Order: sequence, then structure tokens, then C-alpha cells
Amino acid sequence: MSDRITVDELAELMKKAAGVTVAPEELQQRRDSGFDTFGIDSLGLLGVVGELENRYGAPLPPDAERCKSPREFLDLVNSSLVAGA
Amino acid sequence: MSEPYPRRAAVTGIGVVAPNGTSAESFWKSTREGISVLDRVTREGCGHLPMRVAGEVRDFDAPAAVEERFLVQTDRFTHFAMAAADRALDDAEFGPADEDGSPFSVGVVTAAGSGGGEFGQRELQQLWGKGSRFVGPYQSIAWFYAASTGQISIRRGFKGPCSVVAADEAGGLDALAHAARAVRRGTDTIVAGATEAPLAPYSGVCQLGYRELSTEADPDRAYRPFTAQACGFVPAEGGAMLVVEDERTARERGARVRALVAGHAATFTGASRWEESRHGLAHAVAGALDEAGCAPEEIDAVFADALGVPEADRAEALAITDALGAHGRRVPVTAPKTGIGRGYCAAPVLDSAAAVLALEHGILPPTPNVYDICHDLDLVTTRARAVELRTVLVLSRGLMGSNSALVLRRGAADAS
Repeated sequence: MSDRITVDELAELMKKAAGVTVAPEELQQRRDSGFDTFGIDSLGLLGVVGELENRYGAPLPPDAERCKSPREFLDLVNSSLVAGA
Repeated sequence: MSEPYPRRAAVTGIGVVAPNGTSAESFWKSTREGISVLDRVTREGCGHLPMRVAGEVRDFDAPAAVEERFLVQTDRFTHFAMAAADRALDDAEFGPADEDGSPFSVGVVTAAGSGGGEFGQRELQQLWGKGSRFVGPYQSIAWFYAASTGQISIRRGFKGPCSVVAADEAGGLDALAHAARAVRRGTDTIVAGATEAPLAPYSGVCQLGYRELSTEADPDRAYRPFTAQACGFVPAEGGAMLVVEDERTARERGARVRALVAGHAATFTGASRWEESRHGLAHAVAGALDEAGCAPEEIDAVFADALGVPEADRAEALAITDALGAHGRRVPVTAPKTGIGRGYCAAPVLDSAAAVLALEHGILPPTPNVYDICHDLDLVTTRARAVELRTVLVLSRGLMGSNSALVLRRGAADAS
């Protein structure tokens, strides 16, 4: 497991936690678009956060579930993982 | 005061996901033929339960009916509801253009008895098997019996009055009545009905406490109301949604008025107090007739609750004659649910769908598996009966004591 969450991993978690299928390339391209435009609501993002916390065995910052876009989310989560590592 | 004409609630669309058909057409064909689809319970994890026979919906293709995210985020009972709502709206030929420029003109009303038991069980197993951090966030809404109303309105963008009726099995009829009242109060369109998915291990176990539940293993003998062999009821999954519209608005957009929701009343007489349900049900019938401005003799057929418990069957047979007088012994009575089981709140909505189709076709479907009636009723058995139908009465009772009656009238060809 890498110590950084990739766009591929986020796409996989969005499918698992919220049933939303987005190709990683599209997610990469539209990483500034709101999660809502992909069909991810607040519960869906909370599910993604929960999956990641279980996977890494560490809590994410409280702001993680309030991120508006994939870029914002990845930046926050990855900086916190690096800081925690 | 603001309405220049009396608003009447018309049924313009029927969407069905039932054990005997996952479209209104296949449901009606099977119902009319009196085919019983009751069978041994085959759903995973239910094989060891003493609930042996049920009406399972076996040819429902959930991934084809609803988007992937709803498969993950909602329970099977909501998948049924979304599919039935789509089918009802298609049947009514109701599209976005018919919202008359306002999503606030369309609302949703559903009833549900058990909610998302299968989804809830999966998450509770995560809770006790792995820990609270492994419970998915959608558990907070998917199990809830209000989920289907919310998800239909979100998915279709309907922003009109939305409600959930929690009133026992009879709540299915109350939901249709609630829709009719919303239409009379000024909302143009309500998508209304009920679906259930109680055939899963946890939900199954919850039902084992009902002394009215049939534990008979032979599908042909498990659910035989109004006979000396009555041994309880058989549960079912699935259900139906109807499009209920203001009659004039419906006619103006060229929709077919399939039936009118003319009258309704509900009473409560206490859990499993079946002898007392006689008066409760009779009182509900009287109230429904009164609201419909309908004389007892005008009732051309009765869709019975038909619980299959001798005491309850007797109370219902007596309630019919209490409410309809001598006409109660002559009026044809049917209970097509003996071929598909009782889908809790969904049961009276499926009966209402069958009643609308019966009004249209002039055909009363029979009561499968039921012969040798031991009550003073003209029960339609063996095969369908051709009858001129203008007005029908649908009855429903719940295990917790609710009684409800609904009067449906045939939609006039064109009243304008």
C-alpha cells in the first residue's frame, strides 16, 4: 500500500462506498469539480472517509468529510497522511 | 374557495413489482387467471425459518431498474419502490413536461411496515462483527421506512408534498387516501403506494412472533382464508405505486383516467383483537361510503383483507354485511392476494391496482387456492368472473389493529 492516496484509489472508494462509478482518468481531469457533480453526497464522502480510516488505521482530519472537490480532498488527506507518517 | 371546480383524485398510472409479475400487464394477466405463485422461501439465509412459504419477487432485475448508486445506498424495498414509481409514471405517460413548469406540483406518499431490513442486517453484522467504524453511513437512511418516499422524490426531482404513512398494513390504503387528499387540496400529482421487502433473515425472524403467520410448508395449503382450513397468512415482497392526479389536470394533458379515489376511512381496534376488528372495519366502510356519497348497493365488488385466521375471517365477513346490509351477502368478494401472499403495506396497494384493472376490464379475478367457503360470502373462486363494475371497495387490516376501507370508482371515459 502506498502512503499516498491516488486518484485510482479514490475512484475505487467512491464506487465501493457510494456506488458511483467514475473512471480514474475522468476523476483526474475533473478533480476540481464538486463531489456532487459526480453524484457523491455528504453520506457518500463520509463513507469514503470511513473506508480510508479503516484501511490506514488512523483518523483523517475532521475537515476531510467537508471537502468539496476531489483535489481538495486528496490534498488534505495526503498532507495529513504524510504528516502522520 | 380558490378552486372554480371540485378537485377529484384520479388514478392515471399503475406500476407493479409483484411476485406474480413485474409489470402491471403481467401482474393483471396472472391475477386474472388466478395463478398462485406462492412457493417455498428460497431467499438466502431464510431456509431454516419456520416461515416456509412466501410470495417472492423472483424476476426483478434490480441493476436494470435502478442506478448503481441506489443499489449501494438503498434497500431492496426502495429498489422496488423506485422501479414501481418509474413504471407508474410511464404508464401515466407523465414526463417532466407535465410538471407544468413546477416540480412543486408533484409529491410522493408511501407506506412501509418493515423498512430496509436486509440493508440494516448487513450493517448491524458489520457493527457486531467488525466494529462501529465499519458501519456504512447509508445505514442512517436506508433502513428507515421513510426511505422510499425520500429517494423517489430526490431521484425524480419532485418537490411537492411528500409524506410517509406509518399505519400498519392498512397504511397502504391510507397512503392512497392521503394522496387523494393532497390532490384535492391543490397538488396536481402524487406518486403513491407501498413496497416491502420482508423476506430476509432478520426481517423473517421479526415476523415469527406473529401468531397469524402461516407455518404450513405446502404452498397450496399455506394461505386459505375464509375456509375451515385457514391457518394464517403468507408474507410477500414487492408492491405497487400509483399516479394519483387531479382529474381535470389529467384530462387536460390527455391522460387516461383509470379510476377515481372516491372515499376512505380508517379505524383502530387494537393488535390481534380480531373479533373487535369487525366493528372497526364496518365503521371504516361506512365512513368511506359516506365520503364517496355511495349507497351500500352501489358497491359492485369487495377486495377483502382475507387474513386467513378463522377469527379474523369471521370478523371480516360479518363486517361486510354489517356495513352493506343484505347486499353484503350478494356482492362478489375476492382476495387475489391468496396467490401472491400479503406484502404488508404493499398488499392493499396491489389490491387497489387489481381493483382499478378489474374496473377497466369488467372482470373480477379469483381467490387462488381457496375452495369450500365457510362464511356467508359470495367469494370469487377458481376462475375470474365477468361483472359490470362501476364501484369497488378495498379493505385492509393490520396485525397491529388498523382497519381501512377505500372506495374506487371507474374513470368516466371523458367527463369534459
